[in-house]
Amino acid sequence: MSSKNPPNLANWLLSKMVGEELQEEFLGDLQEIYEERLSEKSRFLAMCMYWVDTLHLLFGFTSFKIFKTQNNNTMMLKSMFTIAWRNAIRQKQFTLLNILGLTIGISISLIIGLYVYHEKNYDNFLDQTNNIYRVNQPNIWGDWTEMSSTTGPNVADALREEVPEFREVTRILNQGSQFTSYKTKSGQVLSFKEDQLFWAEKNFFKVFDYEMLLGNQETALEAANSMVLTETAAQRYFGLDEALGQTIEMREWDGSSKSYVVTGVLKDLPTQSHLQFDVLTSLTSAKEQMDMHGWKWIWTAFSTYVLVDDGADVALINDKLQAIPPKYAPPTTKRIFNQSFEEFTAGNPWKLDLQALPDIYLSSDPPFNSFGPIGNKQFVQVFMAIGLVVLTLSCINFMNLSTAKSSSRAKEVGVRKVLGSLRNSLIRQFVFESVLFVSVSTILALVIVSASLDWFNLLAQKELTLEPVLMNPVVWLVLIGFVLTLGLLSGGYPAFYLSSFRPIEVIKGKISKGQQGKTLRNGLVVFQFSISICLIICSLFVQKQLSYTSKIDLGLSDENVLQIHNIEQFGFNTEVIKSKLEGIAAVTQVGKSFGVPPNVMTGDRYRSTEPDAQVFQLNNLRVDDDYLNVLDIEFLAGRNFEFERPTDQYSVILNQAAVELLGWTTEEAVGKHVAVASGNEDEFEVIGVAKDFNYHTTRQAIGPLILISDKNDKVWDYGAGLSFLSMKLNPQSIQTSSDLKRVLDQAESALNEVDASIPFEYSFMDQAFEDNFRTEQRMATVLNFFTLMAMIIACLGLFGLAAFSAEQRTKELSIRKVLGANTGQLTYLFSTGFVKLVVVSILISAPLAYWLVSLWLEGFAYRTPMQLGVFVLASLISLVVAILTTGYQSLYVASRNPVDTLKGE
Amino acid sequence: MKNKGLGEFEELVLLAVCILKGEAYGINVKQEVEKHSGRSVLLGAVHITLYRLQDKGLLKSEMGGNTEKRGDRRKRLFEITTQGMKQLEAAQDVRQKMWSLIPQLNSGQ
Repeated sequence: MSSKNPPNLANWLLSKMVGEELQEEFLGDLQEIYEERLSEKSRFLAMCMYWVDTLHLLFGFTSFKIFKTQNNNTMMLKSMFTIAWRNAIRQKQFTLLNILGLTIGISISLIIGLYVYHEKNYDNFLDQTNNIYRVNQPNIWGDWTEMSSTTGPNVADALREEVPEFREVTRILNQGSQFTSYKTKSGQVLSFKEDQLFWAEKNFFKVFDYEMLLGNQETALEAANSMVLTETAAQRYFGLDEALGQTIEMREWDGSSKSYVVTGVLKDLPTQSHLQFDVLTSLTSAKEQMDMHGWKWIWTAFSTYVLVDDGADVALINDKLQAIPPKYAPPTTKRIFNQSFEEFTAGNPWKLDLQALPDIYLSSDPPFNSFGPIGNKQFVQVFMAIGLVVLTLSCINFMNLSTAKSSSRAKEVGVRKVLGSLRNSLIRQFVFESVLFVSVSTILALVIVSASLDWFNLLAQKELTLEPVLMNPVVWLVLIGFVLTLGLLSGGYPAFYLSSFRPIEVIKGKISKGQQGKTLRNGLVVFQFSISICLIICSLFVQKQLSYTSKIDLGLSDENVLQIHNIEQFGFNTEVIKSKLEGIAAVTQVGKSFGVPPNVMTGDRYRSTEPDAQVFQLNNLRVDDDYLNVLDIEFLAGRNFEFERPTDQYSVILNQAAVELLGWTTEEAVGKHVAVASGNEDEFEVIGVAKDFNYHTTRQAIGPLILISDKNDKVWDYGAGLSFLSMKLNPQSIQTSSDLKRVLDQAESALNEVDASIPFEYSFMDQAFEDNFRTEQRMATVLNFFTLMAMIIACLGLFGLAAFSAEQRTKELSIRKVLGANTGQLTYLFSTGFVKLVVVSILISAPLAYWLVSLWLEGFAYRTPMQLGVFVLASLISLVVAILTTGYQSLYVASRNPVDTLKGE
Repeated sequence: MKNKGLGEFEELVLLAVCILKGEAYGINVKQEVEKHSGRSVLLGAVHITLYRLQDKGLLKSEMGGNTEKRGDRRKRLFEITTQGMKQLEAAQDVRQKMWSLIPQLNSGQ
């Protein structure tokens, strides 16, 4: 729903309910007046008025005419409707509380329902969704018990060879960021940085049948140097009309460029896809690399997907796969590591696991998906629970208020019975009324959801839509089922109970009002408050944990560190740029690195050079001699790199965690040697031990890290990977945003002087650390909002009950007053009952919340302590809210003049 | 329903349709009524009244040409019928007669 258009839901309703001959005119008028209002007033107002007008038209021109006919049944219905209406009007407060509470509850659970539906339906748009599987294998570079979503290129070849059950086997590889350029007809050169660019095999579309706008699915990825773009990407270069056959240049790692011919354009991928790419290039274009490395099992950068036939026995096939790695991987381990397969795996099974496509997005195993977004199962579960809870809360509210209210209608029931009403028609009346209430709330909730979805999408960064879901008849069945069930449940109790009264007793006043079902009502209030308090405690702890993780000592100074990206594009010698940047006045120091915290992901296998040393997985980071100073890293022993000493080119620095892992003490470590355990086994001297610092998200504890000189050409990835120049800025000279802007401009022009074709991209380290918790922050906001709503619902319920109880006890309190009680005492007497309920709720919810919070905190390496204060705070909040809610009623009742209330007797 | 006389709002709507002379449709009728009566009117009320008047035979209508402004939808243009005109005049006559019979005003002139 774009912000300019009128609400689609309203249009849809109108188009369904109003005859076709009227539609065009009405929609036209509505649109016209909407646009007019939009130009004069706020969008919200225009939207509201649109709804008012639409509903007005609906009521004026639809089947509501049945009330105008004279048929016996409809007369009956009309009479029931009238009575319901009169009752609703007579007790405005109850009506409002009822509808408000229910509407909030239904709206929230609807939104959550949409969210869950969205998250659970990833990749469902593909024809073959249920027959596609991804092949996962253990993370052979470290923890063998952890699964990884990528495999070596040869896995696909082996599967083709060994498993005839797979109709197709295809693999893709994420190339990371690439720089492209395109020469327009007018001779202008457009350059872009493509971040989502995959190599794909020619049978890719046989497995993933994405909709193709131009080109042929069968052949698009067949020839070398062919390229398939998505619609948006194509628009970026040349538009759709002349896309086919265009040539795009892509910069190679050595600075040369390679031409690709566009052979197809895809419709943009749906957001609900676990693969997200802008550009595909044919795998045949990478023939050189494939010829050289294609036999490898350790180039774990490929995702391998297989397509099976309908009804294939996947478990059986999965068992069969386990024989493949021991058969095919040994040449790799032999040639590269000079280890036998058994030595390399160290007894761990090299499994291959099939993971069903629909499960990929929400699964937490494997923990990473290199090719697109990954969902968070925990969020989905938590929200589902909240949705159910909030819905339950509001239903309870509704039932509570309905039963409370109904006893005041005992007299009506008595009189009706005397006048000859049958029990059946009484039951029908009560049930009708509550069904009516629920329907009205449901409709209101639909309206609210459709109006607030934009806002929710903004908050949660999702693209939820209501209309397509409403097209689904099942959804309507569920909604209608819900309305009927809740209506029957909440209307049922008063209906059966009240209609069983003997009129004579009722009219004589023998039925004591409101005592029935009191325990039930109190129980329900306790339940509501327990849940609200529990939610409050949980969201307080979520807040606390998030601010805790953002404040923990990182071990490095991440403030005022400006990081320039894409430095690798300038070639390997970047001293010129570095000295230019150092010339900027606000810059105190510049350092180069091949990764920046918190995104240091690379790692390799190392061991100490002592005999029989075990091989360990260490993260590695290549830095120059200034980088650690930029970050203010503390040294526990030894020293930083000093490139004046020629030997430092091949020295390394370890962090504490790495030293411990290798089995040394901090003092011992300096002077020892470490070797890379893959390949040629060159030995490097340890010259320093750095204090642990967070180079990864603060979600995890600090892992072992080895710092290698950026000039070390003896390790295999020399010259590869992204590199960055980080600048420490002097806080005094960047106090205003215009200062900062100036520094950025200076840096940009410094880079442009060297090569203007490379895009200038930068980031700040402290922001990058915060970004790590962006989803959590977002979800915390949403959680807070839902908590607030749950609290409001609980309060509405309590308020309703207090009002009801006030009504019931007016006479009692007045008599007390006549006998000498003062207002204060009465207020106290009246409120204590409710406060007791809240205290009981606190006692129930605290342990529950404690358990839930500790469960959630287990996933963090750094946990905020569970302080008693938070529990006390939450209890206080709920107590205060409860006292305020009931206080108004109690004060009102206590301050009334006994003459007014008692004169009726 | 024959010759039942006009309601006050019906009369306003009829008059607005006359003023707009063949160009009358939902929105400008609404605006016309609002302009002259000084009260705000809901679009739905105007539509309901227009159609009721058409059912009574006081108005006739046809679909007009489309405009860009309305999302390319056509308008239904209303026009007064001879019977409608007669009704309006009859209503006006009744008022005129009654006005002339009010004693104070006469003496005031």
